[in-house]
Amino acid sequence: MANDVIYIDVEKRMLTANGPMNLDIQTTIPAGELIALFGESGAGKTTLLRILAGLVIPDKGLIRFGNTVWFDSAKQINIVPQQRNISLMFQDYALFPNMTVEQNIQFAQPEKNQLALNDLLEMFGLSEFRKRKPNGLSGGQKQRVALARALARKPQLLLLDEPLSALDAEMRATLQDEIAQAHQLLGVTTIMVSHDLNEVFRLASQVLCIENGTITRTGKPEDVFLDNSISGKVQITGQIARIEKQDTIYIVTVISGNNQIIKVIAFENDLENLKIGDRVMVFSKAFNPIISKLR
Amino acid sequence: MNKLSGIISKIQHSGAILLVDVDVDGQNFSAMLIESATRPEWLETGHNIELVFKETEVSLAKNLSGIISMRNRMKCTVKHVERGELLSKISLRFLKYTITSAITTRSVDSLDLKVGDETEALVKANEVSLMKKQ
Repeated sequence: MANDVIYIDVEKRMLTANGPMNLDIQTTIPAGELIALFGESGAGKTTLLRILAGLVIPDKGLIRFGNTVWFDSAKQINIVPQQRNISLMFQDYALFPNMTVEQNIQFAQPEKNQLALNDLLEMFGLSEFRKRKPNGLSGGQKQRVALARALARKPQLLLLDEPLSALDAEMRATLQDEIAQAHQLLGVTTIMVSHDLNEVFRLASQVLCIENGTITRTGKPEDVFLDNSISGKVQITGQIARIEKQDTIYIVTVISGNNQIIKVIAFENDLENLKIGDRVMVFSKAFNPIISKLR
Repeated sequence: MNKLSGIISKIQHSGAILLVDVDVDGQNFSAMLIESATRPEWLETGHNIELVFKETEVSLAKNLSGIISMRNRMKCTVKHVERGELLSKISLRFLKYTITSAITTRSVDSLDLKVGDETEALVKANEVSLMKKQ
């Protein structure tokens, strides 16, 4: 397994909504980990995923999976997607509507294996739905079938492109737990595109942040996203929505990333270089906040 | 926020809780922190850092006697008093720094705070954050 590190060094000229952009990625992905690709839309996350899958051909570079070369522009090597042993899963599940749940999963198995099928049905809580067709299932169940099918192929690399973004928050949280369990059990190297911080923290052991086609930061989610230049442990990022002078102080309203409204007392020197619309970090010490259960 | 520059003189810890002593121009300050999974490189003895605390966490006292649990005590001179209806802002001279305290206007009156008064500013150790020197 130690050999199964993915080495990526590719360049690809892309046309985006904001004009041409150069995707220029050099990184290695450790075997057996779940890695998140994090960044704004149009940053190049999905293109990188498609390059790994062999669906998009880079302009130049090298991709190696362990000792196997998947792509080498200098030697004109380009292994076709079918031979890379990859499962790719998108937000829309693309299940076969005329097949039952178990037929959909079986279809992806390299060879029929009833035991492995049962394990997958069990793992994703699909056993009782095995004889149903997809249109009799909820969105969350369909996505579970798609995940089970992606894993049934026994891929050496699982690529997930915002797999849960169409689901509501609760269903998403449940599926995140199931993905985490499946990953722990099967240990398939997984790369997941996400722009959901919560998801990245829950699932990924490492995160690659992509901005404008290049990797800007990598590391454990905690190291990448928590600002360690300050000791305060309660850190919320958001945007200033309002600044009001009240009495001798200012009340600043900040809307956080997940649309929570936060009010912070500030003083003139805090506001010297701040205005409405600025992105800010609100921090407090772990000692101050009081916690109470939601009803 | 209030900022003072200092040098970390001592770090004690118990599990994830740290008590960090900081020397600010010869005067000792303490900050109580929770440790991160990985300790940042600047949080080590001998490093130059900034002590940060909010104006609303600064208590003021006059002619304080007896013993008190607050670890961070600053002998100050009142530079300016901005009276609000309920909340007032007091600018204070401490060593070479200007610090600000926000207390109720009621307290300003009961302490009879005026420009030029000698006063003591106090901050609890768990209200002090440390910041990497910019």
